[in-house]
Amino acid sequence: MDSMLSRFAEAQVKCLGYDLSHTLSPDLSYENLRAVYKSCNAHDVKAVIKRGIQNSIQNSVAGSQVVGGQLPKEEVQGWVEVYHAYWKAVGELLAIQESSTTNGKSSNSSWSTIYESWKELLSALIRGYLSHGFEAWTVPCLYVAGRHLRVFAIKADTERSNNMSLESTAEANFEDDFNPESEKNQMLEDCARQLNRVFNLCLSDRAPIDQSRKWGIYYVINLLFKTYFKLNSASLSKNILKALSAGRGDMPALESFPKSQQVTFKYYEGVLCFLEENYVEAEKHLTKALDMCHKDALKNKELILTYLVPCHLLTTHTLPSQKLLEPYPRLQKLFLPLSRHIRKGELHAFDLALQEGEDEFVKRRIYLTLERGRDIALRNLLRKVFFAGGFEEPKAEGGKPVRRTRVPIAEFAAAISLGSQETLDNDEVECLLANMVYKNLMKGYIARERGMMVLSKSGAFPGTGI
Amino acid sequence: MASQDAANKDSKAAEAKPEQAVADQKPAAALEEDDEFEDFPVDDWEAEDTEAANGGEGGKHLWEESWDDDDTSDDFSTQLKEELKKVEASKKR
Repeated sequence: MDSMLSRFAEAQVKCLGYDLSHTLSPDLSYENLRAVYKSCNAHDVKAVIKRGIQNSIQNSVAGSQVVGGQLPKEEVQGWVEVYHAYWKAVGELLAIQESSTTNGKSSNSSWSTIYESWKELLSALIRGYLSHGFEAWTVPCLYVAGRHLRVFAIKADTERSNNMSLESTAEANFEDDFNPESEKNQMLEDCARQLNRVFNLCLSDRAPIDQSRKWGIYYVINLLFKTYFKLNSASLSKNILKALSAGRGDMPALESFPKSQQVTFKYYEGVLCFLEENYVEAEKHLTKALDMCHKDALKNKELILTYLVPCHLLTTHTLPSQKLLEPYPRLQKLFLPLSRHIRKGELHAFDLALQEGEDEFVKRRIYLTLERGRDIALRNLLRKVFFAGGFEEPKAEGGKPVRRTRVPIAEFAAAISLGSQETLDNDEVECLLANMVYKNLMKGYIARERGMMVLSKSGAFPGTGI
Repeated sequence: MASQDAANKDSKAAEAKPEQAVADQKPAAALEEDDEFEDFPVDDWEAEDTEAANGGEGGKHLWEESWDDDDTSDDFSTQLKEELKKVEASKKR
């Protein structure tokens, strides 16, 4: 406890937010948890903390050149509450470690009690900002508290659903109106509400920008995004973005935040646009996220690319190269077969590959987007038919040979059935062709009475060089 | 073809069952590992450590055109002609 508080004092005197936040970390070894918890008891804990804070601040001030580093009384009181809550949470953490080592089921300690005690800590911090005058540079404490609150909430939810499935497999059949979805994430939903409090705490700070809690906003937003995505209510993130853009005028620019926060924010912003099928915006955000991402963060780059590849397919009709996907075996499995079939115009094989990967694609929310890649595969197939048609005799002597631009519908039909071995009606083929023209993937018109497709002499397949 | 498909489906369904039971037990954990953007080990980094500075996205060569002109279109054209004949023949019948 003493060493913790002297690190607290050191950070306070030097105004080092991250150092300060480390003193509130729950990731301690068993011995350290024990050392903190056993250093005082429930009766004297507050007095011990208070004395500790005052003494160590005095020592730090004396040891440094800083003048007048004493904390106001109000603020000391606020921190006493914070560390008191921390001490209690440490007690719960200790209990669960002990019960897991002795395997004793009798202990009352559980992840949900840890969650509750950690929530107290977060509340104490929030009160500290609202009524004890905590300064803005201390916001990393909110990061530590928020981040772990989320972890504990998830653990508590898993723990409860495990217990429930043990107890109530037999009874479950009788409860028809029981909604497992909302029950399952009870703690995490509460966590989202707590994080929202923190969000508002940062957003509503009216202090001048260099002393504002607004500097905490993106970290909290990212935590909220993660939480909403996990709760399967990604759309709630939109409210956050709205609130953010409403206050954007007096918000520091995203570029002035640490890159870890920028990348995470851009990723989620991009995925949100992606889910709304706004692929142009999504591509912008995701490209930015990838560009700025740390080069060694493989997992995160993989996640960014999972959405960026389908974006590229739709917006610029480009496919990932082998080199791009080289470091990511999973993405290769996901995208390479589809890419190959698209490139080769193998329509039927494309359909099969889409089917094959359906579960994975759906899980990653990219199925519908990839499905639209079928147009590109079809375009390439029709393009091959056009190529196979060869050239017409040049009309003028020595003129440049001209591609045959009048292609029988039957040839397109044959090409489509080539892979699937299923014959399509001419009507169906015409419909496909008309759609290609409508989507500007092909230029020309259908001469129905002749059973011909008449393609444009200049750029029959826009953007593909012919 | 159709019967083969059906057979495939059956065997798939049989396989899926035990897997599903496992999946039901811990969907949350599985998603957590798979899908979540990870915390970076460091808070901030220099421009030279970004993906862009290391031959990443900045290089446009990482994205390729979506069509392929390299394949032997002669092959395709013979295939196409055969298929055309087949289609014509089936229509006449």
